[in-house]
Formats: sequence, C-alpha cells, structure tokens
Amino acid sequence: MGKPDKEAMKALRKQRKAYIDRAQQEMKKQRKLIKAIKEQIKDEPKTVPRIASEAKLQADQVLLYVAALRKYGQVVEVDKDGDYFTYKLDAEA
Amino acid sequence: MKETLRLQYDALVIGGGIAGLQSALDLADQDFKVAVIEKDATIGGKMIRLSKVFPTLDCASCITTPKMAAAAHHDNIDLFTYCEVNSLDRSQGRLKASITQKPRYVDPDKCIGCRQCEYQCPVYVPDQEQGGFNLRKAVYIPFSNAIPQLALIDVEHCALCGKCAKVCPTEAIDYFQQPEDFVIEAKTAVLATGFKLTPMDQKKEYGQGQIPNVISSLQMERLLAPHGPYQRVIRPSDGKEPDSIAYVQCAGSRDLSLGISYCSRVCCMYAIKQAMLLSGALPLADITIYYMDIRAFGKGYEQFFQNAKAMGIEFVKAKVGRIEQGENHNVLLRIEEQEGDGRVVRREHDLVVLSLGMVPDWNPAGICPVGTGDDAFIKCVRPKLAPTLTEMEGVFVAGVAAGPKDIVDTIAEAGAAAMEASNYLNSSASGRAA
Ligand SMILES: Cc1cc2nc3c(=O)[nH]c(=O)nc-3n(C[C@H](O)[C@H](O)[C@H](O)COP(=O)(O)OP(=O)(O)OC[C@H]3O[C@@H](n4cnc5c(N)ncnc54)[C@H](O)[C@@H]3O)c2cc1C
Ligand code: SF4
Ligand code: SF4
Repeated sequence: MGKPDKEAMKALRKQRKAYIDRAQQEMKKQRKLIKAIKEQIKDEPKTVPRIASEAKLQADQVLLYVAALRKYGQVVEVDKDGDYFTYKLDAEA
Repeated sequence: MKETLRLQYDALVIGGGIAGLQSALDLADQDFKVAVIEKDATIGGKMIRLSKVFPTLDCASCITTPKMAAAAHHDNIDLFTYCEVNSLDRSQGRLKASITQKPRYVDPDKCIGCRQCEYQCPVYVPDQEQGGFNLRKAVYIPFSNAIPQLALIDVEHCALCGKCAKVCPTEAIDYFQQPEDFVIEAKTAVLATGFKLTPMDQKKEYGQGQIPNVISSLQMERLLAPHGPYQRVIRPSDGKEPDSIAYVQCAGSRDLSLGISYCSRVCCMYAIKQAMLLSGALPLADITIYYMDIRAFGKGYEQFFQNAKAMGIEFVKAKVGRIEQGENHNVLLRIEEQEGDGRVVRREHDLVVLSLGMVPDWNPAGICPVGTGDDAFIKCVRPKLAPTLTEMEGVFVAGVAAGPKDIVDTIAEAGAAAMEASNYLNSSASGRAA
C-alpha cells in the first residue's frame, strides 16, 4: 500500500471507532505499566514479586510484561534470588 | 461485478495440522494436485506448538517444521492459510468448496516477514500462541517457524496509528483489505480438522479457570518449549520456579457430567512425558500425577511409564474432588485416595496442570453432509475395515478429526486417507487437474 488516502483513512477510523478507542485506552494503561516496571529495574535487577510490591502492581501482570519486554529485547534475565529469577533493563536496548 | 475465482485441484485437504500435511504430501508425491485449506494464519496444527513428543522425546518443532516446509515447497501443493470453509458439496461428480480468505491487512505478495511492523506497533495483546503467558503486538507473525512467514493485523486491537505502514520496507500493509471469496473444485477431499482442548472453565470444582497457577496441558507444552513464554519453567502468577507440580488426569474426559464419556487417549502419555521433561528442567522439583488408571496403550508406552516411575515421579491413584486457591499463590487439592483406606486428603502444590480432554475443532453441520458420531467427531462408516471413509462419497477423514489419537496413529491414518483418496481419483472417470 502506498501512502493511504486521507479521506479513506478518516472513513476507516470512523468505521473502526469502537476498536480504536479500546486499543487507545489499552495503550495508555500499558505505557504506564511498562514505565513503572522499567523504572524499577533500570539500576538493579529485581525479582517479579519485588517489582510488584515496590511498584504496587500485580505480580502476574508484572511477569507478563517482563516476558514481553524480554521478547522485544528491552529486558534481560540476570541471576536467581532464592526461587525467583531477577530481571534488568537491557543497557544496550 | 467481480467474478468469483474458481480453482481446480485433484484433492482438497481441510486442516493443515500433521494429519492434513501428511495426506497432502502423500497425494502430491503421487503427482496429484492438492489444495490445503487452513483456518489459522499458519500450518502445523497442535504438533508445531508442542515441546517434545512421546515416546521418542524428539523435539516437536524439529520434526514438524521439515514437513511444513516440504508441503510449502511442493510443486503439487498450494497452501491457503487464514481461510474459512463455508460449504463443501458434491455436484455432477465434483466437490465444490466455497472458501473465504480472511483479510490479513497485509499484502502476502509484498510481505517479507521482517517483523519491523511488529517491533514498532505500540499495542500489546495477550499471545494465545504462548498460552496467554506472553504478549504479542496488534500486528504480528504468529511464531518464528510459522509457515507462511506473513504478518497480520488483529484489527480488534489495532489503534490504526499508521506506524506499521510507515516502517514497512515493502509497503505491504493494507488497512483496507477485504475478505475474498473463492471456489475450489476437486474430485476428492480429506477432512483433517483435528481437535481443541475441553475448556478450562467448565468445571466449578476445578476453579473454572480462575486460579492463576492451574494451567492446561497445552500451556505446559509452551512452558517446556525452548521458545516458550519465559524460556524456562516458572509459574505464571509470580515467576517462582516451582518446587512441586501436580497433574490432574481425566480433567475433561471420562466425565459424564461434562458430556464427555470417552477417554482422550493421549492425556496419560502426554502427562508422563511432561513430567519427565519437568524432572529434567527442574531436577529438585517433586512431580505428582493424580490418576484414575494409566492408559499406556502404544508400542513402547508401558516402558515409558515405567521409566517415569523409576525417575521418581509420584503416581497417586486418586480422584481430585476440588481445586482451590491456597496461600502464597499455591494451589490446594482435595483428593480422594483410591488405594488404601480411600481417605480424603489435602495436598498443596506450586503449580497444577489439568490434563484436559480432546473435543473436535470443527462441526461439519450446515457446511458439508458428513455425519458425526455420539462423541461429535466425524463418523467413520466402516470403522474396522476402512476407518477413513465418511458418509460422503470421495470424502475421507484423518487424524483427531475422526477421534482422539496420538501422532503415530494420526500419521498412519493420514497415509491411509491419502491412499483411499488416491484410489478414488484413479477410479474416477475424469482426468487429473491441469
Ligand atoms: C498437551 C498435548 C500434548 C501432546 N503430546 C503428544 C506427544 O508427545 N506425542 C504424540 O504422539 N501426541 C501428542 N499429542 C497429540 C497430538 O497433538 C495429536 O495427535 C496431533 O496433533 C493430531 O494432529 P491433527 O492434524 O489430527 O490435528 P491438529 O493438530 O488439531 O490439526 C488440525 C488442523 O486443522 C485446522 N482446522 C480445524 N478446523 C478447520 C476448518 N474448519 N477449516 C480449516 N482448517 C481447520 C486447525 O487449525 C489445525 O491446524 C498431544 C496433545 C496434547 C493436547
Ligand atoms: S508487513 Fe512489512 S514490516 Fe511487517 S513483516 Fe511484512 S514486510 Fe516486514
Ligand atoms: S496501525 Fe495498528 S497494527 Fe499498525 S502499528 Fe498502529 S496499532 Fe499497530
């Protein structure tokens, strides 16, 4: 597809409004969550329960986003601390 | 009005799992022209999503990927992925399938599978390919060895921000793509539509899918796979490496209250396999399998079971009455022992896997006139002497579409269905597709 026609895009946006609104709301929540997680692990590696308790987030949500940030190359797994692995922001990313 | 595209083949295969691919390859090697219709965005079925396979413990992806690639590169096979079969009828001696190509919102002729769109897309979505334990983007390629390697947009989660179109080096993104209908005409067909697992939320006593560390057997396959969601086995509620893992057998089979009276045949074996893989991945963990009876029915399977016992996996003959959320993200089981004095005991585990049963992934009702049995799988009209024959002339069935079975039996049946289809083609009056 070359550069999409402005009018056609406008019409498509109108048609998909419900989906777009929901996706934008999701995006906002996700950005906040990711920012809070990254903030926690920018200087030192932490376990999921520690990130969750210090950032006041749910542990399963933290793990889900840590897994996604690892997949997209922004977070790395470091050492083990007891039964848990620790994660850190990838300095290279 | 645009005329509907009509394509001619000798054989049509519905379902691109291991059964469909084997049937397609066997027919194509006999020089028949074959079309494979797959509803997912990639071929490979369940097998490409498994970790390792019993009884050999071969890496599933290492043995499935070459089959997928062989089908994709075969001169006599055309793959139609992300397609819906609307109807399959027979008229004037030919089968006619009406198909809809669902829009990917990506031009398949331009996409080079570089994933730049995926990296740039700002919307994260739970990735069902990873059991929901990781995220993908709103534009994505299903997984790294998916065939074809084409991106697709999940419009329900797309913010239509335009980033993917901006970064795509080949201008493949097409937000305006529409579904396209076409017709495939063939002389014979193989139905290889496989299975899905019984739902996680069907049993109130088992927590209805609301207990985070109670997962399905397919989710455990992902945790064990080398490219799994966490690249190691940790539990989804908090990332703890589990010390104690339990399997609940017959969690969706042999249960009249769920309307599933049959045995799903593979659950005992896959639970034993997963338990063995877990003891390799987590040598210090205790692994328990709660079972009614172990059905290790195939060649070498009993030995496999005995090996698992020798490895220290605990087999407890018991009925699991209730599963509840415990303290510290743990899971509490109330079990009724079936040996000894039949006491009811409570056990606690870090992670619990439900060995869910198999149900058909496709109901042909209203789409094509093949019947189903009481178990809802496709009915075989001569189950003993010609188990791949359906009620429709020239239409055969292979794999789990006909009833629960493992990969070995699926492959054997797929070969048999291809042979029946080949005989049918050779006996039918008209020539082969050009
Ligand atoms: C957790 C688990 C672990 C297992 N481990 C093992 C193991 O170790 N060893 C072993 O031997 N077996 C194992 N099995 C069994 C194995 O998965 C099956 O035997 C095998 O996948 C069956 O292949 P199939 O092609 O018949 O079905 P499927 O793999 O289900 O493929 C069917 C295909 O058809 C497609 N389809 C469905 N409906 C339509 C439609 N209407 N139109 C177009 N396409 C459609 C589906 O999308 C799918 O791609 C396991 C099963 C489970 C659940
Ligand atoms: S759509 Fe474009 S950016 Fe995305 S994978 Fe295909 S070629 Fe790459
Ligand atoms: S247009 Fe949609 S799919 Fe593309 S990058 Fe934006 S949100 Fe993602």
